[in-house]
Amino acid sequence: MAAILELRNVSKRFGGLRAVKDVSLDLSPGEILFIIGPNGAGKTTVFNLISGFLHPDEGSIAFFGKDISRLKPHAIARLGVGRTFQIVKPLPALTVLENVMLGAFMHTAGLPHAQEEAASILDFLQMSHLKDFQARGLPLAALKRLEIARALATRPKLILLDEVVSGLTTSEALALAELIKRLPEWGVSVVGGVEHVMQVVMKISDRVVVLDYGAKIAEGKPADVVKQPEVVEAYLGAKYKELAR
Amino acid sequence: MKLPVRKFLTFLIPVIACALVPVFVHNDYLMQVFFRIILFAALGLAWNLVGGYAGQLSLGHVAFFGVGAYGLAMFTARGVPVWISIFLAAAAATGFAAVIGLIVFRLRGPYFTLSTIAFAEVLRLGAANLTATGGAIGLSTPALFRPRTFFETHLLSTVQQFYLAAVTLAAVCFVINYATSKSRPGYYLMAIREDEETAAAVGISTAGYKLRALLISAFLTALGGALYGSAFQYIVPDSALSIEISVQMAIITMLGGAGTLLGPVIGAILLLGASEVFKNRFQESHLLIYGILIVVVVLFLPEGIVGGLRHLFRRGMKSKPPSSVAQSPAVAEAKGGN
Repeated sequence: MAAILELRNVSKRFGGLRAVKDVSLDLSPGEILFIIGPNGAGKTTVFNLISGFLHPDEGSIAFFGKDISRLKPHAIARLGVGRTFQIVKPLPALTVLENVMLGAFMHTAGLPHAQEEAASILDFLQMSHLKDFQARGLPLAALKRLEIARALATRPKLILLDEVVSGLTTSEALALAELIKRLPEWGVSVVGGVEHVMQVVMKISDRVVVLDYGAKIAEGKPADVVKQPEVVEAYLGAKYKELAR
Repeated sequence: MKLPVRKFLTFLIPVIACALVPVFVHNDYLMQVFFRIILFAALGLAWNLVGGYAGQLSLGHVAFFGVGAYGLAMFTARGVPVWISIFLAAAAATGFAAVIGLIVFRLRGPYFTLSTIAFAEVLRLGAANLTATGGAIGLSTPALFRPRTFFETHLLSTVQQFYLAAVTLAAVCFVINYATSKSRPGYYLMAIREDEETAAAVGISTAGYKLRALLISAFLTALGGALYGSAFQYIVPDSALSIEISVQMAIITMLGGAGTLLGPVIGAILLLGASEVFKNRFQESHLLIYGILIVVVVLFLPEGIVGGLRHLFRRGMKSKPPSSVAQSPAVAEAKGGN
């Protein structure tokens, strides 16, 4: 199957720091891919590059064959790339329903229609009971779901979930993972990013890409990847690689 | 679609009530005060589109106000009929807004605010030094209205007619605010106010929507400026282009409640009404009281009067979300049943 998202030799530099080095990856329709890597590995930078908040210094990013590496964030969103933010960014003064309506407005101008659509998405994310609360003051677990709901309401073909379970308790994370696993039902492919909640990654991802210091060091089925020595070293350091054997 | 008759009436009745004031009030001083209050309510509503809904704290709106007033004077001086001049001046202000909007909206937060002040000051200094604008001596403005009789018996004084024009402008501004608050563009502006990156992530062209809000706001502000200029018959840079007007537009709106429909109206009534009362009672010290009033409101009602009241109203109903997050009521019930 043709890839919906193709990164070819993408690099990004911040001054002297090479945050992303020569990364290539493909995503098939309906696939759930997780990018894992220690803190500072470049996961968020990759998400910012795909969603247009940053532009690559080298390499190309294609979405359904169209080069998007120079487009602005709102234009990329309109092509069908939804995203969540690692540090949640709700619209605090608006209600949960209104937050999600803003996503739905991408394809409908009518308020009632946007409300209906937002309500059905909140239903899917099991947060209908929160719809009339202001987003400010919601607990983190709800805000993480709200990020997904808002992105999903734009009817994306690809959704980028940056650290979507970080800061959650294990049970909250696993409950959310169940929902992420069902995202392909909505016609969405997923690229997620996770630092260390491996339980979630193992459970729901079809494929895993490992980043370390901005470079791709491993790729494959989750169960295989975590056994690779490079991956263990990236996470635990060279000393523990020996112990892990 | 069902016509929202009740909403329409709750809008129309206050407007008609305001429009009937000249029937009962013939005192020119009082009418002058009412004119100023309603005019600033209109200006506050115009500012509200940019400063309230879109959350872009402009302190340069006097630029559009000034272009409206100066434009009226300069177009009519070249033989254009007054009522056409007004709209030409407003169009000029809109064009000017397009140019500065493209520049200032690249900046955010305090930098945006400072740049709006800078643009307005450039205009003020320009007007004070160019011969076309009369320099520091200023220009006389054409009279939009003359005293006239209607129904053979009633006399409408000039001030009363200016007042009615202000009521009309305020009503138009209110309708535009209302339409904004109930539509997708309004939600887009609020999203931009709350978080620009999130707004972009749901496909909103933040620059485009901010600019559109500014263009409409500038057009309305310029109409207000032209009314003001004409009512006072004479404009100088320190009246029609004074930063005080920008500040007043912002303070009125924020005091009443930025990003709310009634905020600017309530703010104008309270602030200008209070300042008039204090001026009569305390002479020079009225500014002190005016200042204290602003400080008190900012301290205790940071979201303005309407925002504060709304908060009070919401409290107890929907402010505290439940601690269990991921459970829908149905799930919770099922668990309780076991």
